[in-house]
Amino acid sequence: MEEGLRENSRSFTFSLVNEDHTLANAVRFTLNQNPMVELCAYSIPHPSDNIVNIAIQSTDKSAKAVFNDGLQDLRSMCQIVRDSFDKSVNDFRAELQESSESKN
Amino acid sequence: MDPQPEQVAYICGDCGGENTLKPGDVIQCRECGYRILYKKRTNRIVQYEAR
Amino acid sequence: MPRISVLDMPDVPNGQLPPHIQLQKTRVFCEKNAPTHTDYVQHHGSYTSMDVHESLIENFHNNFKVNVIRLTSDVIEFDMIGIDASLANAFRRILISELPTMAIEKVYFVNNTSVIPDEVLSHRLGLIPLDADPRLFEYISDESSSSSNERNTIVFKLNVFCKDNDKRISVKSNQLKWLPKGSQLNSETDGGGNEYTSFRCSQDSPEFSHKPIGLKHDDIIIAKLGPGQAIELEAHAVKGIGKTHAKWSPVSTAWYRMLPEIVLMKEIENEMAEKLVKKCPVNVFDIEDLGAGRKKAVVSNPRACTLCRECIRDEGWEERVSLRRVKNHFIFTIESTGSLPPEVLFTEAVKILEEKCEAVIHELSF
Repeated sequence: MEEGLRENSRSFTFSLVNEDHTLANAVRFTLNQNPMVELCAYSIPHPSDNIVNIAIQSTDKSAKAVFNDGLQDLRSMCQIVRDSFDKSVNDFRAELQESSESKN
Repeated sequence: MDPQPEQVAYICGDCGGENTLKPGDVIQCRECGYRILYKKRTNRIVQYEAR
Repeated sequence: MPRISVLDMPDVPNGQLPPHIQLQKTRVFCEKNAPTHTDYVQHHGSYTSMDVHESLIENFHNNFKVNVIRLTSDVIEFDMIGIDASLANAFRRILISELPTMAIEKVYFVNNTSVIPDEVLSHRLGLIPLDADPRLFEYISDESSSSSNERNTIVFKLNVFCKDNDKRISVKSNQLKWLPKGSQLNSETDGGGNEYTSFRCSQDSPEFSHKPIGLKHDDIIIAKLGPGQAIELEAHAVKGIGKTHAKWSPVSTAWYRMLPEIVLMKEIENEMAEKLVKKCPVNVFDIEDLGAGRKKAVVSNPRACTLCRECIRDEGWEERVSLRRVKNHFIFTIESTGSLPPEVLFTEAVKILEEKCEAVIHELSF
């Protein structure tokens, strides 16, 4: 899965198999918000091969650690989305319930 | 008995009636005389992928 | 000359973006020929020179909101505010192609004397939406039928015969009967008696599922039979994802659009106002009476804007009306085909994105 020379280098290109724009664009977005990232980009060498290359250059930590941080951030963002969504759906249902009860 | 002369059912191209024929029989529908007969669909179970 | 503190001088950064930059950052301008400012210029250092720093997660946590507009058993329409296009698109892509569903995959024909060829009939059966919760089932491990059991396969049977003196009949989807106990056919290989599926317990037992499995719609026409024609087949449904074949997509479709924002740059009055209101096919604009016979155009329903650009097509109108889209406000619509309610579909899609992240994190830890 990984391509690169040194274990703790600050710039690294990760090659993910069986991934496409779905994960790669989302991770690229979260990584760009990270102050330790100098450069973050993704490319898909050929659409028939299911491979994504994510290139990361960081200022301080190892690129691997920074990628890890980006993924953790994306995961917590997903959890926030899920919680907000569930809450809104429940509120909406409760409102519908109330309005139909007040009509009866 | 020899399994070869078994009776196979064919369907007439014109009237759709069933005709059982043995090897060596004249190929002709018994009801309407039409000379084109079709073989029936196989009894084996055929599998298809729904794609 | 009055003495002003250095910090109050106009071009000293004070932690806020100047209004025109803020507008370019948060709005797409839909002009007559093409939209402008479509990029999301956002990496942490993009506005450091203006002394504007933003932290992603905190901001997200504070600013993210969801508002549900419409919720029925098949469709949900909701607003997501404070999210980026890359995430919204990720959810849309997952909803369409990576959420699992059950759909008919293997069709075993005992007899088909109808005018519909076998493969066409199989293709039609594959596209019929099934009312089965895919979370209760596992993926089937390999292609051979010996691994089909009650945890990964649903079996249906269709047996229709049109009598010789009848008129032609339509074979509808309600004639597909669910077989909770598994396949009734015997495989001819291996000395007979080998069944196509090995169900250890019946699927209609309460420990398996609380709802009987069936089809979502009763009136889908599968085939038409003339007198004397018959169809007898068994169909096996398995779990799959939309990427493999579109029949496994749980949504008829899912889409999003950005919230439209329409601003009148100049006052539009009287005749011009009437013209403007007539131009818009979806009634975005409305007339407000100012009294004394004067009328003014106002934007009453910007959400309905479909970006037909009729209001800015003619000469001189582009300076009066500004069509914009808010970059981080998405109006999502999800139409489910019925296996799962649409709000559950969205939650599952978010879970799948989380799982993808976890899979990569796990790989990284080696």
